[in-house]
Amino acid sequence: MSAVALSRPARVLRIEIRRSVVPWSVPLILALFFFDSYRTAAGFPPNWTVHASAITNNLAWDFAPFAAGLGAWVASREGRRNTGDLLATTARPAWARQAAALGATLFWLLLTFLAAVAALYIQVALQATWGGPPLWPVVVGAVQVVTLAVLGFTAGALFPGRFTAPLAAIGAFLLVFIGFHAALNLTPDSSTNALLSPATGLPLEDVGVFYHVAPDVAIAQVMFMGGITVALLGVLVVAPVFRVRGGLSGAVGRAGRPLCAAGVVLLAAGVAASWTAFALTGTAKLGVSGWDIPALHDAASDQPIPYTPDCAGTAFPVCVHPAFSGDLPAAAAALQPVAAELKGLPGAPVRAEEVPAAGEGVSGTPPVYHYDGNNGIAPFLGSPAGADNARWRAGFQQELLTEFIAGPPNAGPRPDASVLPPTAAQQAVITALMTVAGSQAQFGEDMTNGHPTAGATPAQIDAAAQRFASLSTAARHAWLAAHLPALRVGEITLAQLP
Amino acid sequence: MTAAEVRTQPAAPASPAWTGAPGVRLAWLHLRSRRVPGAVLALAVCGGVLRAALHWHWTFTSGFLAQQFPMIIGGGAAAVVAMTTHSPFGEPERATGRWLPYLRLGTALAMTGMAIGVLQLAVTGASLNGGIFTLARNVIGITGIGLLASLVTGGLLAWILPMAYVAFAQYALLEAWRNPWTWPVRPPDDRGAWICAAVVFAAGLAAFTVRGARTAPADS
Repeated sequence: MSAVALSRPARVLRIEIRRSVVPWSVPLILALFFFDSYRTAAGFPPNWTVHASAITNNLAWDFAPFAAGLGAWVASREGRRNTGDLLATTARPAWARQAAALGATLFWLLLTFLAAVAALYIQVALQATWGGPPLWPVVVGAVQVVTLAVLGFTAGALFPGRFTAPLAAIGAFLLVFIGFHAALNLTPDSSTNALLSPATGLPLEDVGVFYHVAPDVAIAQVMFMGGITVALLGVLVVAPVFRVRGGLSGAVGRAGRPLCAAGVVLLAAGVAASWTAFALTGTAKLGVSGWDIPALHDAASDQPIPYTPDCAGTAFPVCVHPAFSGDLPAAAAALQPVAAELKGLPGAPVRAEEVPAAGEGVSGTPPVYHYDGNNGIAPFLGSPAGADNARWRAGFQQELLTEFIAGPPNAGPRPDASVLPPTAAQQAVITALMTVAGSQAQFGEDMTNGHPTAGATPAQIDAAAQRFASLSTAARHAWLAAHLPALRVGEITLAQLP
Repeated sequence: MTAAEVRTQPAAPASPAWTGAPGVRLAWLHLRSRRVPGAVLALAVCGGVLRAALHWHWTFTSGFLAQQFPMIIGGGAAAVVAMTTHSPFGEPERATGRWLPYLRLGTALAMTGMAIGVLQLAVTGASLNGGIFTLARNVIGITGIGLLASLVTGGLLAWILPMAYVAFAQYALLEAWRNPWTWPVRPPDDRGAWICAAVVFAAGLAAFTVRGARTAPADS
């Protein structure tokens, strides 16, 4: 399309885009993106939702100071150059000039932002074995960039000094940080308005895998930030009225009643949208797929996502969710040696399956070991390659043995059993079985009134474990088959171990 | 010629009947041309925000994340100092005499000291993670970055590189980097971090003193 064919606003916008200062900052933004967002996300599990959290958690940090600072810089141009009066004599109203300048700034910022998102998503697309790219984090991130740029732009337009740009940049940084701080302190019992902050802690490793992530919070965040943006645009439209002398009514008359009315409507609509979002987040409840906002929640999103697990092994099949297919070899290699030690014992699991959180344990007929993505397969927080280390393998094995021999933490005989570690005998047996499997158990030394809560010191437990591990496989198996029920309920002492 | 003078009261010119020492008058005119009074106000805003954050617990009070908020404020103060490098007179000012480098040096040193002093005042009586020494080191080092940036971008855009460094330092803090050149994440008494920050500041100060900020209008 030739320049002649473009409309006047489009031509002005094109000139602003060509002359914009933002492209000079793009290399810095991209360098920050590479170090902060891209490299950080590279260490995440190959889960789309977890990777997408880098958009609101990391990318926002990278863009915040530049969006606000450059917005303020562009808006204060007329003030810095003392050309306000000259431009006031032109046929175009001030808001048209500002719209072109703001549009060009947003064009470059959003272009850079979307390029960064594309790089992040290509990275996870090369690793992920299941699912697809979530779009809500992209929308939230883009709206955040726009909001911060408009915030800076408004500050620059209203206070066109040389220090406005750095102060706007710092202000944006601090806003993101304060929101992050509030979001990290969020609990179901506290005020849930902190959900308005897009930056928050790292989500659990299996988020979005078994259940859809409800878009409730994202919708509220977009409504909140979008409302602020609209309100600020209203302020920009109305602001010239207050610069005209001769009383408010005279100023409105000169600036144009429709324009003033539009500005007031934008301001009111923006405030209403933000206030509504603020009120909505106050009603949020913790649901199966994260935070739900009743007024925005679709109950259909609470249904589990159907999937066919990926399994490995025949004697003891180990199954993972297809999203964690890359971890399957390591998971099977970790669990099968300890499962072999348990084979034939009463209640011994015949298979291991990954399940959603809070479903962990040995249950069913035949017994199946259910482990969740957060405590079981993915506590290493990393790519499948991160699973292939002794520490992770030992932790994964210990989870299975503890569930089988000691049971769930709250199923012990004493009222406060939920906070107690396995008994000394249970720890010794678990340690011995892990030693046989080539791993090392790790139990903390829990003390009660100056005495070991488990009933024996770590040294005593290790000695008993070594004794038990030195038995022949058949002898160990026979003893466990005979004493497992008593061992489970805590009736076996360390001295009774062979 | 525009109508700006008619609509807006221009800044009062310095009185021709100056009775003080000529050197003081020269320094005062130099400071005014660099908008130092406005910079002091901006530094006060930074200090006020830091004080408010510590008072109302907007930030973490312990752990490595507690360093983030003071670091951002320190970076902001350094960016403000870097902005005072811009001269409204451009190239012709360089032909006005031999005092200009000394004035640049004095202004940069005074503003850096002022930034540290204002922030110290802001945290007096409050519990600041890392103490004022970490804050001072951040201001010194990041100001050096800003002074170096002013040679390339001009004074008006010299805030961009310090902001980028602060953003990078956030990442370094979260990743527990230990390189001395990521001095904001190092303990207050870390010698390597102090050396790095001081070297950057000295390099920026020396280069700025000798050459001055880029005089071409940075936003044209």
